[in-house]
Amino acid sequence: MKKYALFLGCTVPVRAQHYEMSARAVAKELAIEFVEMAGASCCGFPLKAVDAETSLLIAARNIAIASKQNLDVISLCNSCTAMLSDAQLQLKNNEFYREFKKLGFSYPNEITVKHFVRVLYEDIGIDKLKSAVKKRLDTLHVIAHYGCHYMRPSYLYGFDDPEIPHTFDELVNVTGAQSVEYMDKKMCCGGSVLGIDEALAVTMANHKLSIAKNNGVDALISICPFCTVMYEDNQRKAEEKFEIQYNIPVLYYPQLLGLSFGFDMNAVGLRFNRVRPNALLEKIGLSD
Amino acid sequence: MIDLKNADPHFKWEIIKMEGGEGLLKCFGCSDCAASCPVRYFDERYNPRKIIRLTLLGMKNRVLSSPFLWFCAHCHACTERCPQGILVAEVINAIKNYAVENGYCPEGYKVQLDLLKRLGRLYEVEDFDLKKRQRLGLPPIDKTIPEVARILEHTGILKKVGQ
Repeated sequence: MKKYALFLGCTVPVRAQHYEMSARAVAKELAIEFVEMAGASCCGFPLKAVDAETSLLIAARNIAIASKQNLDVISLCNSCTAMLSDAQLQLKNNEFYREFKKLGFSYPNEITVKHFVRVLYEDIGIDKLKSAVKKRLDTLHVIAHYGCHYMRPSYLYGFDDPEIPHTFDELVNVTGAQSVEYMDKKMCCGGSVLGIDEALAVTMANHKLSIAKNNGVDALISICPFCTVMYEDNQRKAEEKFEIQYNIPVLYYPQLLGLSFGFDMNAVGLRFNRVRPNALLEKIGLSD
Repeated sequence: MIDLKNADPHFKWEIIKMEGGEGLLKCFGCSDCAASCPVRYFDERYNPRKIIRLTLLGMKNRVLSSPFLWFCAHCHACTERCPQGILVAEVINAIKNYAVENGYCPEGYKVQLDLLKRLGRLYEVEDFDLKKRQRLGLPPIDKTIPEVARILEHTGILKKVGQ
Protein backbone atom coordinates (compact mmCIF):
# COMPACT_ATOMS: atom_id res chain seq x y z
CA MET A 1 0.00 0.00 0.00
CA LYS A 2 1.46 3.35 -1.03
CA LYS A 3 0.34 6.29 1.11
CA TYR A 4 -0.02 9.90 -0.05
CA ALA A 5 -1.60 13.07 1.30
CA LEU A 6 -4.47 14.05 -1.02
CA PHE A 7 -4.69 17.76 -1.78
CA LEU A 8 -8.15 18.66 -3.11
CA GLY A 9 -7.92 22.42 -3.66
CA CYS A 10 -11.01 24.59 -4.29
CA THR A 11 -12.73 23.30 -7.41
CA VAL A 12 -12.54 19.50 -7.11
CA PRO A 13 -14.37 18.95 -3.79
CA VAL A 14 -17.38 21.17 -4.64
CA ARG A 15 -17.53 21.35 -8.41
CA ALA A 16 -15.94 18.13 -9.66
CA GLN A 17 -16.90 15.40 -7.22
CA HIS A 18 -17.00 12.91 -10.08
CA TYR A 19 -13.27 13.53 -10.60
CA GLU A 20 -12.61 12.97 -6.90
CA MET A 21 -14.84 9.87 -6.72
CA SER A 22 -13.23 8.25 -9.74
CA ALA A 23 -9.72 9.12 -8.55
CA ARG A 24 -10.43 7.57 -5.16
CA ALA A 25 -11.96 4.45 -6.72
CA VAL A 26 -9.04 3.97 -9.11
CA ALA A 27 -6.51 4.59 -6.33
CA LYS A 28 -8.14 1.97 -4.11
CA GLU A 29 -7.96 -0.61 -6.90
CA LEU A 30 -4.24 0.15 -7.30
CA ALA A 31 -3.53 -0.03 -3.54
CA ILE A 32 -2.83 3.70 -3.24
CA GLU A 33 -3.97 5.06 0.11
CA PHE A 34 -5.10 8.68 0.27
CA VAL A 35 -4.71 10.43 3.62
CA GLU A 36 -6.92 13.51 4.04
CA MET A 37 -5.23 16.89 4.63
CA ALA A 38 -7.27 18.49 7.43
CA GLY A 39 -7.04 22.27 7.30
CA ALA A 40 -5.84 22.44 3.69
CA SER A 41 -6.91 25.61 1.87
CA CYS A 42 -6.80 27.00 -1.64
CA CYS A 43 -3.38 26.23 -3.18
CA GLY A 44 -2.62 29.95 -3.56
CA PHE A 45 -2.43 30.04 -7.36
CA PRO A 46 -5.36 32.47 -7.84
CA LEU A 47 -3.37 35.13 -5.98
CA LYS A 48 -0.07 34.67 -7.78
CA ALA A 49 -0.79 37.49 -10.23
CA VAL A 50 -1.66 39.77 -7.30
CA ASP A 51 1.26 38.92 -5.03
CA ALA A 52 3.58 35.98 -5.63
CA GLU A 53 4.88 35.90 -2.06
CA THR A 54 1.38 35.63 -0.58
CA SER A 55 0.46 32.82 -2.95
CA LEU A 56 3.67 30.96 -2.14
CA LEU A 57 3.07 31.26 1.61
CA ILE A 58 -0.47 29.92 1.23
CA ALA A 59 0.93 27.03 -0.82
CA ALA A 60 3.74 26.40 1.66
CA ARG A 61 1.27 26.20 4.54
CA ASN A 62 -0.50 23.40 2.66
CA ILE A 63 2.84 21.68 2.11
CA ALA A 64 3.48 21.96 5.86
CA ILE A 65 0.33 19.95 6.61
CA ALA A 66 1.59 17.03 4.54
CA SER A 67 5.13 17.48 5.82
CA LYS A 68 3.94 16.95 9.40
CA GLN A 69 2.36 13.69 8.28
CA ASN A 70 5.61 12.91 6.40
CA LEU A 71 3.63 12.12 3.26
CA ASP A 72 4.20 13.07 -0.36
CA VAL A 73 1.36 15.09 -1.84
CA ILE A 74 -0.93 14.07 -4.66
CA SER A 75 -2.93 16.79 -6.38
CA LEU A 76 -5.74 16.34 -8.88
CA CYS A 77 -5.37 19.80 -10.42
CA ASN A 78 -2.61 20.98 -12.77
CA SER A 79 -2.40 24.49 -11.36
CA CYS A 80 -2.43 23.33 -7.73
CA THR A 81 0.41 20.94 -8.63
CA ALA A 82 2.47 23.79 -10.10
CA MET A 83 1.77 26.14 -7.20
CA LEU A 84 2.58 23.57 -4.50
CA SER A 85 5.69 22.42 -6.39
CA ASP A 86 6.89 26.02 -6.57
CA ALA A 87 6.39 26.44 -2.82
CA GLN A 88 8.19 23.16 -2.16
CA LEU A 89 11.16 24.55 -4.11
CA GLN A 90 10.96 27.95 -2.36
CA LEU A 91 11.10 26.30 1.07
CA LYS A 92 14.78 25.62 0.30
CA ASN A 93 15.35 29.35 -0.09
CA ASN A 94 16.53 30.94 3.19
CA GLU A 95 14.71 34.23 2.79
CA PHE A 96 11.38 32.58 1.97
CA TYR A 97 11.83 29.98 4.71
CA ARG A 98 12.33 32.76 7.28
CA GLU A 99 9.00 34.36 6.30
CA PHE A 100 7.35 30.97 6.49
CA LYS A 101 8.78 30.41 10.01
CA LYS A 102 7.66 33.88 11.12
CA LEU A 103 4.08 32.75 10.57
CA GLY A 104 4.69 29.85 12.95
CA PHE A 105 4.74 27.16 10.26
CA SER A 106 7.21 24.31 10.10
CA TYR A 107 8.47 21.94 7.44
CA PRO A 108 9.81 18.99 9.44
CA ASN A 109 10.07 16.46 6.60
CA GLU A 110 11.06 17.09 3.01
CA ILE A 111 8.23 15.88 0.81
CA THR A 112 7.42 15.92 -2.90
CA VAL A 113 4.35 17.06 -4.83
CA LYS A 114 3.00 15.22 -7.84
CA HIS A 115 -0.08 15.25 -10.00
CA PHE A 116 -2.12 12.05 -9.57
CA VAL A 117 -1.61 11.19 -13.23
CA ARG A 118 2.15 11.51 -12.84
CA VAL A 119 1.98 9.17 -9.85
CA LEU A 120 0.10 6.65 -11.98
CA TYR A 121 2.84 6.90 -14.61
CA GLU A 122 5.91 6.98 -12.37
CA ASP A 123 5.02 5.28 -9.09
CA ILE A 124 2.49 2.71 -10.32
CA GLY A 125 3.64 2.25 -13.90
CA ILE A 126 2.11 1.30 -17.22
CA ASP A 127 2.58 -2.47 -16.70
CA LYS A 128 0.74 -2.56 -13.39
CA LEU A 129 -2.07 -0.44 -14.82
CA LYS A 130 -2.34 -2.78 -17.81
CA SER A 131 -2.74 -5.75 -15.55
CA ALA A 132 -5.62 -4.03 -13.73
CA VAL A 133 -7.60 -3.49 -16.96
CA LYS A 134 -10.52 -5.90 -17.14
CA LYS A 135 -12.58 -4.33 -19.89
CA ARG A 136 -10.62 -2.83 -22.78
CA LEU A 137 -12.28 0.19 -24.35
CA ASP A 138 -10.98 -0.63 -27.83
CA THR A 139 -13.84 1.00 -29.69
CA LEU A 140 -13.08 4.49 -28.35
CA HIS A 141 -11.04 7.28 -29.95
CA VAL A 142 -10.25 10.24 -27.72
CA ILE A 143 -7.97 13.26 -27.51
CA ALA A 144 -5.79 13.63 -24.43
CA HIS A 145 -5.63 17.21 -23.15
CA TYR A 146 -2.52 17.60 -20.98
CA GLY A 147 -3.13 21.16 -19.80
CA CYS A 148 -0.26 23.60 -19.27
CA HIS A 149 0.81 22.86 -15.73
CA TYR A 150 1.02 19.08 -16.08
CA MET A 151 4.51 19.27 -17.60
CA ARG A 152 5.31 23.00 -17.54
CA PRO A 153 7.29 24.73 -16.20
CA SER A 154 9.88 21.99 -16.66
CA TYR A 155 12.24 23.64 -14.15
CA LEU A 156 9.73 22.73 -11.45
CA TYR A 157 8.85 19.26 -12.67
CA GLY A 158 11.63 17.69 -14.70
CA PHE A 159 8.99 15.26 -15.89
CA ASP A 160 7.83 14.30 -19.39
CA ASP A 161 8.82 16.42 -22.41
CA PRO A 162 7.49 19.99 -22.21
CA GLU A 163 7.45 20.27 -26.01
CA ILE A 164 6.39 16.76 -27.06
CA PRO A 165 4.64 15.24 -24.06
CA HIS A 166 3.76 11.56 -24.21
CA THR A 167 3.07 10.16 -20.73
CA PHE A 168 -0.65 10.93 -20.66
CA ASP A 169 -1.17 9.46 -24.14
CA GLU A 170 0.45 6.25 -22.92
CA LEU A 171 -1.84 6.22 -19.89
CA VAL A 172 -4.92 6.72 -22.08
CA ASN A 173 -3.82 3.89 -24.38
CA VAL A 174 -3.61 1.55 -21.38
CA THR A 175 -7.41 1.55 -21.28
CA GLY A 176 -7.66 0.27 -24.85
CA ALA A 177 -9.07 3.62 -26.01
CA GLN A 178 -6.92 5.14 -28.71
CA SER A 179 -5.33 8.50 -27.91
CA VAL A 180 -5.42 10.25 -31.28
CA GLU A 181 -2.50 12.46 -32.37
CA TYR A 182 -3.73 15.97 -33.08
CA MET A 183 -2.54 19.46 -33.83
CA ASP A 184 -1.85 22.07 -31.13
CA LYS A 185 -1.85 19.44 -28.41
CA LYS A 186 -0.28 21.76 -25.84
CA MET A 187 -2.81 24.56 -26.43
CA CYS A 188 -3.92 26.24 -23.20
CA CYS A 189 -7.63 25.85 -22.28
CA GLY A 190 -7.92 29.58 -21.60
CA GLY A 191 -8.97 29.08 -17.99
CA SER A 192 -6.50 31.59 -16.56
CA VAL A 193 -7.94 34.46 -18.59
CA LEU A 194 -11.61 33.59 -17.99
CA GLY A 195 -11.90 36.22 -15.26
CA ILE A 196 -10.11 38.85 -17.36
CA ASP A 197 -11.66 38.43 -20.82
CA GLU A 198 -14.34 35.78 -21.21
CA ALA A 199 -14.58 36.07 -24.99
CA LEU A 200 -10.85 35.37 -25.33
CA ALA A 201 -11.01 32.43 -22.91
CA VAL A 202 -13.94 30.88 -24.80
CA THR A 203 -12.12 31.41 -28.11
CA MET A 204 -9.13 29.51 -26.70
CA ALA A 205 -11.33 26.65 -25.47
CA ASN A 206 -13.13 26.57 -28.79
CA HIS A 207 -9.87 25.89 -30.62
CA LYS A 208 -9.39 22.46 -29.09
CA LEU A 209 -13.10 21.65 -29.17
CA SER A 210 -13.07 22.24 -32.92
CA ILE A 211 -10.01 20.02 -33.27
CA ALA A 212 -11.81 17.31 -31.28
CA LYS A 213 -14.81 17.63 -33.58
CA ASN A 214 -12.69 17.53 -36.74
CA ASN A 215 -11.01 14.38 -35.48
CA GLY A 216 -14.39 12.80 -34.82
CA VAL A 217 -13.36 11.62 -31.34
CA ASP A 218 -15.70 10.18 -28.71
CA ALA A 219 -14.41 12.38 -25.89
CA LEU A 220 -11.81 14.84 -24.69
CA ILE A 221 -9.93 13.45 -21.68
CA SER A 222 -8.92 15.98 -19.06
CA ILE A 223 -6.79 15.84 -15.91
CA CYS A 224 -7.50 19.32 -14.55
CA PRO A 225 -10.76 20.67 -13.11
CA PHE A 226 -10.24 24.09 -14.61
CA CYS A 227 -9.53 22.76 -18.10
CA THR A 228 -12.81 20.86 -17.72
CA VAL A 229 -14.60 24.08 -16.74
CA MET A 230 -13.41 25.51 -20.05
CA TYR A 231 -14.13 22.50 -22.28
CA GLU A 232 -17.29 21.20 -20.64
CA ASP A 233 -19.02 23.98 -18.67
CA ASN A 234 -18.20 26.58 -21.34
CA GLN A 235 -18.82 24.28 -24.30
CA ARG A 236 -22.26 25.76 -24.87
CA LYS A 237 -20.81 29.29 -24.84
CA ALA A 238 -18.31 28.23 -27.51
CA GLU A 239 -21.15 26.66 -29.50
CA GLU A 240 -23.15 29.88 -29.36
CA LYS A 241 -20.21 32.16 -30.12
CA PHE A 242 -19.03 30.12 -33.10
CA GLU A 243 -22.45 28.85 -34.22
CA ILE A 244 -21.45 25.23 -34.18
CA GLN A 245 -22.68 22.06 -32.50
CA TYR A 246 -20.04 20.16 -30.52
CA ASN A 247 -21.65 17.87 -27.98
CA ILE A 248 -18.22 16.49 -27.06
CA PRO A 249 -18.13 14.64 -23.71
CA VAL A 250 -15.28 15.64 -21.41
CA LEU A 251 -14.19 12.82 -19.11
CA TYR A 252 -11.63 12.93 -16.36
CA TYR A 253 -8.88 10.39 -16.88
CA PRO A 254 -9.73 8.39 -13.72
CA GLN A 255 -13.27 8.01 -15.09
CA LEU A 256 -11.93 6.47 -18.30
CA LEU A 257 -9.43 4.33 -16.40
CA GLY A 258 -12.16 3.24 -13.97
CA LEU A 259 -14.38 2.09 -16.84
CA SER A 260 -11.48 0.01 -18.16
CA PHE A 261 -11.09 -1.49 -14.67
CA GLY A 262 -14.67 -2.70 -15.06
CA PHE A 263 -16.21 -0.18 -12.61
CA ASP A 264 -19.83 0.69 -13.20
CA MET A 265 -20.89 4.14 -14.40
CA ASN A 266 -21.96 5.34 -10.97
CA ALA A 267 -18.68 4.38 -9.31
CA VAL A 268 -16.89 6.82 -11.62
CA GLY A 269 -19.63 9.46 -11.31
CA LEU A 270 -20.55 9.54 -15.00
CA ARG A 271 -23.97 10.97 -14.26
CA PHE A 272 -22.28 14.21 -13.21
CA ASN A 273 -20.70 14.84 -16.59
CA ARG A 274 -22.52 17.83 -18.01
CA VAL A 275 -22.17 16.81 -21.63
CA ARG A 276 -23.90 13.42 -21.57
CA PRO A 277 -21.58 10.66 -22.77
CA ASN A 278 -24.46 8.45 -23.99
CA ALA A 279 -22.99 7.66 -27.41
CA LEU A 280 -19.66 6.78 -25.81
CA LEU A 281 -21.34 4.45 -23.32
CA GLU A 282 -23.24 2.71 -26.07
CA LYS A 283 -20.00 2.14 -27.92
CA ILE A 284 -18.53 0.29 -24.95
CA GLY A 285 -21.71 -1.62 -24.24
CA LEU A 286 -22.90 0.38 -21.24
CA SER A 287 -26.00 2.45 -21.70
CA ASP A 288 -28.21 4.48 -19.42
CA MET B 1 5.04 55.87 -30.62
CA ILE B 2 7.52 55.68 -27.80
CA ASP B 3 8.63 59.02 -26.40
CA LEU B 4 11.59 58.43 -24.13
CA LYS B 5 10.98 61.78 -22.45
CA ASN B 6 8.29 59.91 -20.52
CA ALA B 7 10.60 57.05 -19.58
CA ASP B 8 11.35 56.17 -15.97
CA PRO B 9 14.89 54.72 -15.91
CA HIS B 10 14.27 53.15 -12.50
CA PHE B 11 11.35 51.03 -13.64
CA LYS B 12 13.38 48.00 -14.73
CA TRP B 13 15.40 48.01 -11.50
CA GLU B 14 12.19 48.00 -9.53
CA ILE B 15 10.88 45.01 -11.50
CA ILE B 16 14.01 42.90 -11.03
CA LYS B 17 13.64 43.31 -7.27
CA MET B 18 10.18 41.71 -7.44
CA GLU B 19 9.67 37.96 -6.84
CA GLY B 20 10.21 36.34 -10.28
CA GLY B 21 11.47 39.50 -11.98
CA GLU B 22 15.17 38.58 -11.79
CA GLY B 23 15.70 37.55 -15.42
CA LEU B 24 14.35 40.72 -17.05
CA LEU B 25 17.69 42.28 -18.07
CA LYS B 26 18.77 39.20 -20.04
CA CYS B 27 16.11 39.76 -22.73
CA PHE B 28 17.62 40.45 -26.17
CA GLY B 29 14.27 40.82 -27.85
CA CYS B 30 14.14 37.72 -30.09
CA SER B 31 10.35 37.36 -29.77
CA ASP B 32 10.41 33.59 -29.19
CA CYS B 33 8.05 34.22 -26.26
CA ALA B 34 5.51 36.00 -28.46
CA ALA B 35 5.78 33.29 -31.12
CA SER B 36 5.13 30.56 -28.53
CA CYS B 37 2.28 32.33 -26.77
CA PRO B 38 -1.16 30.67 -27.01
CA VAL B 39 -2.91 33.87 -25.97
CA ARG B 40 -1.18 35.92 -28.66
CA TYR B 41 -2.17 33.22 -31.16
CA PHE B 42 -5.77 34.40 -30.68
CA ASP B 43 -5.35 38.03 -29.68
CA GLU B 44 -2.40 40.05 -30.95
CA ARG B 45 -3.02 42.83 -28.48
CA TYR B 46 -1.14 40.66 -25.98
CA ASN B 47 2.59 40.50 -26.66
CA PRO B 48 5.02 39.41 -23.93
CA ARG B 49 8.05 40.69 -25.87
CA LYS B 50 6.49 44.13 -26.17
CA ILE B 51 5.72 44.26 -22.45
CA ILE B 52 9.32 43.32 -21.65
CA ARG B 53 10.79 45.83 -24.13
CA LEU B 54 8.59 48.63 -22.82
CA THR B 55 9.64 47.72 -19.29
CA LEU B 56 13.33 47.83 -20.21
CA LEU B 57 12.80 51.21 -21.86
CA GLY B 58 11.13 52.50 -18.70
CA MET B 59 7.63 53.08 -20.09
CA LYS B 60 6.20 52.56 -16.63
CA ASN B 61 2.75 54.09 -16.93
CA ARG B 62 2.08 52.55 -20.30
CA VAL B 63 2.98 49.05 -19.07
CA LEU B 64 1.17 49.27 -15.76
CA SER B 65 -2.04 50.74 -17.11
CA SER B 66 -2.32 48.33 -20.05
CA PRO B 67 -5.30 45.96 -19.71
CA PHE B 68 -3.43 43.45 -21.90
CA LEU B 69 -0.79 42.82 -19.22
CA TRP B 70 -3.43 40.67 -17.52
CA PHE B 71 -3.98 38.49 -20.59
CA CYS B 72 -0.97 36.30 -19.71
CA ALA B 73 -2.38 32.85 -18.87
CA HIS B 74 0.83 31.93 -17.01
CA CYS B 75 1.06 28.76 -19.14
CA HIS B 76 4.89 28.90 -19.35
CA ALA B 77 5.05 28.09 -23.09
CA CYS B 78 7.38 31.14 -23.36
CA THR B 79 9.52 30.07 -20.39
CA GLU B 80 10.24 26.72 -22.03
CA ARG B 81 11.55 28.34 -25.22
CA CYS B 82 13.40 31.46 -24.10
CA PRO B 83 16.97 31.13 -25.47
CA GLN B 84 18.19 33.35 -22.64
CA GLY B 85 16.74 31.07 -20.00
CA ILE B 86 14.46 33.80 -18.69
CA LEU B 87 11.46 32.56 -16.74
CA VAL B 88 9.32 34.78 -18.95
CA ALA B 89 5.98 33.97 -17.34
CA GLU B 90 7.51 34.79 -13.94
CA VAL B 91 8.81 38.13 -15.23
CA ILE B 92 5.35 39.02 -16.56
CA ASN B 93 3.92 37.94 -13.20
CA ALA B 94 6.41 40.21 -11.39
CA ILE B 95 5.20 43.13 -13.53
CA LYS B 96 1.60 42.24 -12.60
CA ASN B 97 2.53 42.21 -8.91
CA TYR B 98 4.20 45.60 -9.33
CA ALA B 99 1.09 46.92 -11.10
CA VAL B 100 -1.02 45.78 -8.12
CA GLU B 101 1.32 47.63 -5.74
CA ASN B 102 0.74 50.73 -7.84
CA GLY B 103 -3.02 50.57 -7.74
CA TYR B 104 -3.81 48.54 -10.86
CA CYS B 105 -5.53 45.41 -9.53
CA PRO B 106 -8.24 43.98 -11.82
CA GLU B 107 -11.62 43.66 -10.11
CA GLY B 108 -11.74 39.87 -10.62
CA TYR B 109 -8.64 39.42 -8.47
CA LYS B 110 -10.10 41.63 -5.73
CA VAL B 111 -13.13 39.33 -5.61
CA GLN B 112 -10.87 36.27 -5.31
CA LEU B 113 -8.83 37.97 -2.60
CA ASP B 114 -11.99 38.70 -0.65
CA LEU B 115 -13.18 35.08 -0.95
CA LEU B 116 -9.83 33.80 0.26
CA LYS B 117 -9.89 36.20 3.18
CA ARG B 118 -13.37 35.12 4.25
CA LEU B 119 -13.28 31.42 3.35
CA GLY B 120 -9.71 30.36 2.62
CA ARG B 121 -11.01 28.90 -0.62
CA LEU B 122 -12.51 30.17 -3.87
CA TYR B 123 -15.91 28.51 -3.57
CA GLU B 124 -18.22 28.62 -0.63
CA VAL B 125 -18.82 25.15 0.83
CA GLU B 126 -22.51 25.03 1.70
CA ASP B 127 -24.38 22.44 3.75
CA PHE B 128 -25.77 21.19 0.45
CA ASP B 129 -22.24 20.44 -0.76
CA LEU B 130 -21.34 18.64 2.44
CA LYS B 131 -24.50 16.51 2.22
CA LYS B 132 -23.83 15.73 -1.41
CA ARG B 133 -20.28 14.69 -0.54
CA GLN B 134 -21.58 12.45 2.22
CA ARG B 135 -24.12 10.87 -0.13
CA LEU B 136 -21.35 10.15 -2.62
CA GLY B 137 -19.17 8.55 0.04
CA LEU B 138 -16.65 11.42 0.05
CA PRO B 139 -15.06 12.62 3.31
CA PRO B 140 -16.07 15.98 4.85
CA ILE B 141 -14.04 19.12 4.11
CA ASP B 142 -13.48 22.33 6.08
CA LYS B 143 -15.99 25.08 5.30
CA THR B 144 -13.52 27.81 6.07
CA ILE B 145 -9.77 27.96 6.63
CA PRO B 146 -9.11 31.12 8.73
CA GLU B 147 -5.33 30.63 8.59
CA VAL B 148 -5.38 32.02 5.05
CA ALA B 149 -6.62 35.40 6.33
CA ARG B 150 -3.70 35.43 8.76
CA ILE B 151 -1.26 35.01 5.84
CA LEU B 152 -3.00 37.82 3.93
CA GLU B 153 -2.64 40.09 6.97
CA HIS B 154 1.00 39.12 7.38
CA THR B 155 2.07 39.99 3.84
CA GLY B 156 0.02 43.17 3.79
CA ILE B 157 -1.62 42.35 0.47
CA LEU B 158 -5.06 43.41 1.70
CA LYS B 159 -3.81 46.92 2.38
CA LYS B 160 -2.03 47.04 -0.99
CA VAL B 161 -5.31 46.53 -2.84
CA GLY B 162 -7.29 48.62 -0.36
CA GLN B 163 -9.28 45.90 1.40
